[in-house]
Amino acid sequence: MRFTIYQESRQGGRANNEDRITYCYSREALLMVIADGMGGHHYGEIAAQIAVQTLADSFQREARPTLADPFRFLQKGLTNAHHAILDYAERHRLGDTPRTTCVACIVQDSIAYWAHAGDSRLFLMRGDKVIAQTKDHSRIRILLEEGLISEARAATHPDRNKIYSCLGSPTPPEIEFSRKTPLKHGDILLLATDGLWGEISGDMMAITLKGANLVHAVPMLLTQAETKGGPHVDNLSVVAVRWEEAYVEEASSSISTQTMALDEVATHIEEFGRDPAHKTDLSEDEIEKAIEEIRAAIDKFNPRKQGQ
Amino acid sequence: MAQQANHALPAGLQLEEYTITRQLSLGGFSIVYLATDGEGNRVAIKEYLPNSLALRGEGEIKPLITADHQGAFRYGMKCFFEEGRALARLSHPNVIRVLNFFRANDTVYMVMEYERGRTLQEFIQTHRGEVTERFIRGVFTRLLNGLREVHSHKLLHLDLKPSNVYLRSDNTPVLIDFGAARQTLSTDQPMLKPMYTPGFASPEHYGSRKDLGPWSDIYSVGASMYACIAGSAPQAANERYQKDTLLPAMMRWEGEYSDRLLEIIDWCLNLNHFYRPQSVFALQKALVETVTPPTPKESPNWLNRFVDKYKKASR
Repeated sequence: MRFTIYQESRQGGRANNEDRITYCYSREALLMVIADGMGGHHYGEIAAQIAVQTLADSFQREARPTLADPFRFLQKGLTNAHHAILDYAERHRLGDTPRTTCVACIVQDSIAYWAHAGDSRLFLMRGDKVIAQTKDHSRIRILLEEGLISEARAATHPDRNKIYSCLGSPTPPEIEFSRKTPLKHGDILLLATDGLWGEISGDMMAITLKGANLVHAVPMLLTQAETKGGPHVDNLSVVAVRWEEAYVEEASSSISTQTMALDEVATHIEEFGRDPAHKTDLSEDEIEKAIEEIRAAIDKFNPRKQGQ
Repeated sequence: MAQQANHALPAGLQLEEYTITRQLSLGGFSIVYLATDGEGNRVAIKEYLPNSLALRGEGEIKPLITADHQGAFRYGMKCFFEEGRALARLSHPNVIRVLNFFRANDTVYMVMEYERGRTLQEFIQTHRGEVTERFIRGVFTRLLNGLREVHSHKLLHLDLKPSNVYLRSDNTPVLIDFGAARQTLSTDQPMLKPMYTPGFASPEHYGSRKDLGPWSDIYSVGASMYACIAGSAPQAANERYQKDTLLPAMMRWEGEYSDRLLEIIDWCLNLNHFYRPQSVFALQKALVETVTPPTPKESPNWLNRFVDKYKKASR
C-alpha cells in the first residue's frame, strides 16, 4: 500500500473549530474521517469528536491488518458513533443532543469504500476531473436536483446549511454508502467540510491538485478558500490522499507456463458481483446441471479420441 | 498489498482419474495444472479458484470460502461454466479442446488437451525483431480458421492476445483461454465485463460494450500481428482515443514487410469499428489473396539467414 496523505483543519473566522478530522492506517487498510459539528446545536465539536474517535478506535481494533468487511465496518462505526452521541447527551442531561455530519472512507486492496451522513463531502478525482462525489443530505440539493432553484440562488439560499441526516439527531441518521470503487494509480480521494467545498468547487480542486504535491497544494487550497470566504469564513477541513498503487491483477490463466504479458501489459479485472443484481445464487442442483450439460456437449461435439 | 496467492495442489494428487504432475500457471481466477489421465496421456486441468474469494493455505486441498464470499464465488463459477460451455461446443484444430469437466474439492475443474509448445507471446519474446512475414501470415491465417469457428457459434473470444495463442511444436496455432468469451446472442443475461487486456482490447471493450462484435476480436488480431513485429503491445485503445501515438504499421515498417500485410494490420487497428474488416472471412481473404512478393530489401536478408542456417547445420 503506497499513498501520500495530508490533513488539516482551520478555524476560519469562527470563535471555535467544530470540525474534526482523522486518518489511520494499518499495513493493508486506510481509514479517513471528517466530521463537522453543527453550530446551531450545542457542543457540536463534542459530537464531531465522538464520531471521529469512535471510528478511529474501532479501526485500531479491527484492522488486523485488513477489515473483514469494509462496508459493514462503516455501517457499524457510524451507527455506534450516533448512539455514543445520544448516550453522551443523556449522561450530561443535555436538553438538545449535539449533532455532526460525518463522511468516512476506507481503502483496502486498492478499493475505496465510503459512507456519509450530512453535507461533508468526499470527492474522487482522476486526472483533472471529479469522477465521483457524495450527494449532500440537504434540502437545497433536492431543490437543485428537482430544478426548483438555480445554482446561483442555492449559494445564497437561507436554508443552504439545513441538512436532513446527521449523527446525534433523535431521528436515526440516513447513511449513504458508495459502491466498491477500484482506485487507479494517481487517484485522489479528498474529504472536505462545507467550509472548503463551499468556496472552491470540486472541479476546481481537481484541476489544482492534478499532478501536484498534496503536502504543498492542499494548504494553498485552504488559504485560497479562507481568502475567498472573507472574515467570517466557516471552519474548513480536509483530508486528501493520493493513491499510488494500481488495482491490477494478473491475467486469467492459460495453458502456457507463463501468462506474463508483453512488457507493461496487465489485465484489469473487475470485482465479481459488484452489482448485487448479478449475485444470483447458483444452487447445488444448478451446478450439477451445468456440469452435466457441459459433459453432454463435450461428448457430442468432441468425442474423445482414444490414445491421442 | 499483494493479495495472498493461493497454494497449488500438490504433485501426485489424484483428482478423479487424473494425477497432478505440476502447476503450469497461476492466474487471478484459476490455476492450471499439468496432469496425466488414466491412460498416461498428458492433459491440462484448469481449476476455478478466484484469488480474492477462495483461499487455499499451504498443504490444504479444499479452499476456504467464507460465507460472505459464497455468493460471489458461485457467481464466478457461472462464468467458468460459460467458458466450459463455449469450448465444449467447439471442435476445431485451432481451438483448444475440452475433454472433461468435473466437480471436486468444493470447486470445479476443466480438463483440456495439452500439447508441447509455447505461447505466441513467448515466441515473440525470443524472436524479437526477427519474426518473418511468412510466419505471421502462416500463423494468423490458421488462427483465423479457429476464430471463424468461434464466431460461427455466435461467440466472441474477447481476450485475444499473443499470450492466449498457443503454438504447437509445428507452429500450428491454437486459441486458448476463453475466460472472457461471451455469447453474443443471449440478451436475457446482462453483458458481463470481466476483463480486458490493454493494448489488445478493442475500443469497444471500454465503455458500454454494446458495440462489441466480430470486429472487436479482429482489432485484437491486428494488435497481435502488430505486436509480432514490434515485440511489444501497441498503445491501449482508450489511450489512443485521448492521444493516438500509435505509429501505423505502414509508416513504421515500410520496406521491411510487404505493403499488403502492413495495410491489413492498420486496417484491423482502426479505432472506428466500421472501418475494420467486418468479418474474419473478409480479413482472411485479404491475408491469403495477395501474396505480394517480399520487397527486394527483405529478400536477401531472408535468404542470408537461410543460408547461414544451412551452413551452421552442415558444419
